[in-house]
Amino acid sequence: MPLKTEVPIRQKKARPKKKFFNSRDLAGYLFTAPLLIGIMGFAIYPMVAALIMSFKKSASSSAGEWVGLSNYQYVASDKMFWESIYNTFYMGIIAVVLGISLSFILASLIHNVTGLRWRNFFKAVYFLPNVVSLVATSILFTFLFNPGSEGLLNYVIGLVGIEPVGWFTDPSYSRFSIVLMTLWGMLGYNTIIFIAALTSVPRDLYEAAEIDGANWFKKWLYITIPYLRPIIIFMVIIGTINAMKRFTDVWLIGGTAGNPAGSLMTAVLYIYRNAFLSSQMGIATAASYILFMFILTLTIILLVTNRKSNFD
Amino acid sequence: MKPTPLNPVLSQGKEKNAKTRSMKKTNRMGNILLIIVLLLGSLIMIVPFLWMVLTSFDWQARLNIPFPPRFWPEEFSLRTYTLAFTNIPMLKYIVNSLIISLGVIIISLTSALFSGYAISKLKFKGSSIVLVLALSTMMIPFEMTMIPQYLLFDKINLLDTYWAFYLPALNFAFGTFLAKSFIDQLPNTLREAGIIDGANEFLVFLKIYLPLCIPILATMVILQFLAVWNDLLWPLLALQTPDKYTIQLGLAMFSYNKDLPLPSVIMAATTVSLLPVIVTYLFLQRYIVESIALSGMKQ
Repeated sequence: MPLKTEVPIRQKKARPKKKFFNSRDLAGYLFTAPLLIGIMGFAIYPMVAALIMSFKKSASSSAGEWVGLSNYQYVASDKMFWESIYNTFYMGIIAVVLGISLSFILASLIHNVTGLRWRNFFKAVYFLPNVVSLVATSILFTFLFNPGSEGLLNYVIGLVGIEPVGWFTDPSYSRFSIVLMTLWGMLGYNTIIFIAALTSVPRDLYEAAEIDGANWFKKWLYITIPYLRPIIIFMVIIGTINAMKRFTDVWLIGGTAGNPAGSLMTAVLYIYRNAFLSSQMGIATAASYILFMFILTLTIILLVTNRKSNFD
Repeated sequence: MKPTPLNPVLSQGKEKNAKTRSMKKTNRMGNILLIIVLLLGSLIMIVPFLWMVLTSFDWQARLNIPFPPRFWPEEFSLRTYTLAFTNIPMLKYIVNSLIISLGVIIISLTSALFSGYAISKLKFKGSSIVLVLALSTMMIPFEMTMIPQYLLFDKINLLDTYWAFYLPALNFAFGTFLAKSFIDQLPNTLREAGIIDGANEFLVFLKIYLPLCIPILATMVILQFLAVWNDLLWPLLALQTPDKYTIQLGLAMFSYNKDLPLPSVIMAATTVSLLPVIVTYLFLQRYIVESIALSGMKQ
């Protein structure tokens, strides 16, 4: 062992140029400079600035005086903040659970269709709502979910004798209606990733299981699910993070008050209100750090459970 | 191992053939059933669009959506579109969105490709630190950084200009990661040969590696175009003059807080706002789906 490691070291020392950086390093720094400037200016600086701001009294970045943890105390005791966290999680959890299970079923169905043309057709159709902006989706669903009997969905359920539902106007339905809209828009994304993952499962695993007499359910349970577990965990993480960031649709449908009755007030909407309506930058950044901690904790928990279950 | 006798193998094969034939029949039935189920599901994805596009031509729906709901307008008219274009400067907004998308794509892709190449092939001192830095900042949600970023652009007087879009585009960590893992698969010897032939690092990248990066470039163009075109939150914060609005912001501002008056006019405007994306999707649909699948699997 020692002999082997010595050889490359000697070669390195024998190199003619012994400058602090060679032209290769210089090129490396020049090539990565734009990215580094971007990271410094638009990731690290804002994170640090937000942290400092969250300990200061409102106002713009430099003006405010140091107030310690009082912004955090304000946020933690603000009923509206906890309601916004509750709403965000409520919608997020339902959307992630339903979204992943539905898209997994959908992906398995599409994957099993024989005929490449059909498969590509279905992939394209189910993915279509995904390229549509949230603004357009929200406008479209405001019409579809019109609370009167003239709304398309109310008309359809009226045909089977159900009373019109105030999808976006009744606080007991509004969150679930948002979830339905999200599912329509996002289902295709998870589905095509699942299809790609299903295609990557080695065929000989299934063939071996068939020889051992496994039926489709056993193959699905013992080969497909374990093989796809990393992808499922990834989807849960991405889905959760995206759910925590919900803003555009609830802002367009419920306004800055998160109507109806604050049921659509989400965490980012709360941050937006405080920062850009009442100029309480300190409170807003404190709230954003609390939200970030939620996201970070969730991500770490998911990653750790994934690793643990991998050891079993 | 002794070679297996020929006969049992043959008879086994015959049995298997008979079995697969009957299986094929049930398979085909199952396949047709599967396609029918999936086609029914597709209706849920398509019908809302179809309804919106058809209603957008319905002159009678300009004040109220007709009851009972219908797909086919009684009075087909393009006047809803004329109204949409006179009420909202749609063309201007679309051009604005295109300008911003183009600028962001050029800047972010340049940044991502150069840094991805440098991390993958130059292996300079500290390249692994750059990679770790990029990967860890990728996790930071925009909603965390938006307030300081807004104040920063306010301070340097670049709020309400498109620089507020171009400058943050430099930080395209995910693109760097995509480019880096793509360039990892290209051979190192190309660079060494280029250097021996007397080319400098910049020329080697530009003339040898860049042309090989077209597939990942296309993927990044698609990802960035969709992201920029559909974004609302940052345009909402950064742009104040209505003349500079993006199409999403213009549409949102028109429909926001007005209880959606003029249904078919708004539907016409929404349809127009979707056209560029839908047309692109129709032409590049397979490519877009592949790109999203690839980037999703990589993440």
